[in-house]
Amino acid sequence: MITRRLLGVAVFAAALGVWETWAHAEASFLLPPVSMVAERAWQVWPTSEFLLNVAGSLKRLAAGYAIGAGVGVAVGLVLGARRGARLALEPLIEFLRAIPPIAIVPVLVVMLGLGDGMRVAVIAFGVCFPVLVHAAQGVRAVSPEARDTAAMLHVGPAELLYRLYLPAALPSIVAGLRVALSIGLVLVVISEFVGSPDGLGYYILSSSRSFNVPEMYGGILFLGLLGYVLNRLFLLAERHVLFWHYGAAGEPVR
Amino acid sequence: MKPPNVAGWLVVALVVAACEAAVRLLDLYDSVAAPTAAFGALVAGLASGELSGEIGTTLESYAGGLALAVAAGVVLGVVLGSSRVLQDASFVVIEFLRPIPAVALIPLAILFLGLGVPMRRFVIAYAAVWPILINTLYGVRGGDRLLHDVARTSGVSSAGRLVRVALPAALPSIATGIRVSASIALLVGVTAEFLSPGTGGIGSYMHRQQLAFQLPELYGAVVLVGVLGYAINVALGAAERRVVFWVGEGRTGAR
Repeated sequence: MITRRLLGVAVFAAALGVWETWAHAEASFLLPPVSMVAERAWQVWPTSEFLLNVAGSLKRLAAGYAIGAGVGVAVGLVLGARRGARLALEPLIEFLRAIPPIAIVPVLVVMLGLGDGMRVAVIAFGVCFPVLVHAAQGVRAVSPEARDTAAMLHVGPAELLYRLYLPAALPSIVAGLRVALSIGLVLVVISEFVGSPDGLGYYILSSSRSFNVPEMYGGILFLGLLGYVLNRLFLLAERHVLFWHYGAAGEPVR
Repeated sequence: MKPPNVAGWLVVALVVAACEAAVRLLDLYDSVAAPTAAFGALVAGLASGELSGEIGTTLESYAGGLALAVAAGVVLGVVLGSSRVLQDASFVVIEFLRPIPAVALIPLAILFLGLGVPMRRFVIAYAAVWPILINTLYGVRGGDRLLHDVARTSGVSSAGRLVRVALPAALPSIATGIRVSASIALLVGVTAEFLSPGTGGIGSYMHRQQLAFQLPELYGAVVLVGVLGYAINVALGAAERRVVFWVGEGRTGAR
């Protein structure tokens, strides 16, 4: 295990070495040596200006993700539980979810202006659909026996939702939430490309427009790291919330 | 053949009618386009050939980028999936590159490749390659050991085993990966166009209409992109059912 990890790290280090020597040989300002990128990142990342960009992005992600996930779970549960509602809303939802969220950016800019309302709305729009679809699938997969038992026991609709559908759909909802997390991060960047005063997307675009190439590379790397850390944290939380699922479903506990 | 979903289309018609009424009665022309105006602009744009040209540009970079991603993702996935050592060796590099959102690479790609189709093709390929690569890799790894052993004892070379055993076994996962990639690729492609105004493509068109405050044209383009995304989903779903017809419903894949 250790040696296998070491091999991966060694290849990674070799790749960085190739980048470094190539950049020195090429001497193009578009391809700064990795040492220069690291040096600039070391200087820039701890500055309050950069950290404010990070905070701005995280704030937008949190707000948009919370709204999108909330709407997605609520609507998804209802659509999963009610066949009539599902049929009635299916064409509308299928169409809306086929729209790449960037397409509604100009629409929202006209409607809401260039403020954070537009950004949060774009993120929520993109986050909502994968959560919705997974939640509805999760509810539909509830076994007929469980449904019939609940019906026989005269379980009310609210209790049915809370005690049968929600727990049964939870693994599926969590899967949807994880897909939505990476989409959310993409949309944070996209929304910050458009008229934003701060944020990582703004930082990357403005660095590139002022030809601060090492800073731009640093911003891209930071985004990659952020995506990685957020995904790790999500997996940790998932294992905590769904511990019963991995045991019961006979899947290996990851 | 399923019966038509009357209720569903009725809801769509109701929502459109409600928007139309709201725009007209509340006088929202400054911030929202009325559906009739948007459809009118859409039809006019298509009839004049302006929009068809923009769609052509979008599809050109989209198809090129996706094809690149499929080629690279499948080849790498099959090679890595069939060799433990190569997989271990590439693990850290892949886990490092994969979380970088492709849209963040657009400014960098613009510096290297300019605003045109090659830049878009690159970022689309970068966005689309990861789900295809990962799904192919798991598909190859999940293949039946016994089939490999039978093929080996029957004298099939290792290259032959890759193509004739590992690849068919991974085909359903590859199809899943392509389906997941298709929508993220469209998002990234249109975003790249949006950020490179004046160089064609539906995203660039939308940027122009937003600046010119031509709301009916803008909303028409949104509808068009939605239809395009929907058509891509349907076409890929149909192709998938035809090519990997032996796989039933209810499969899942890594994303």
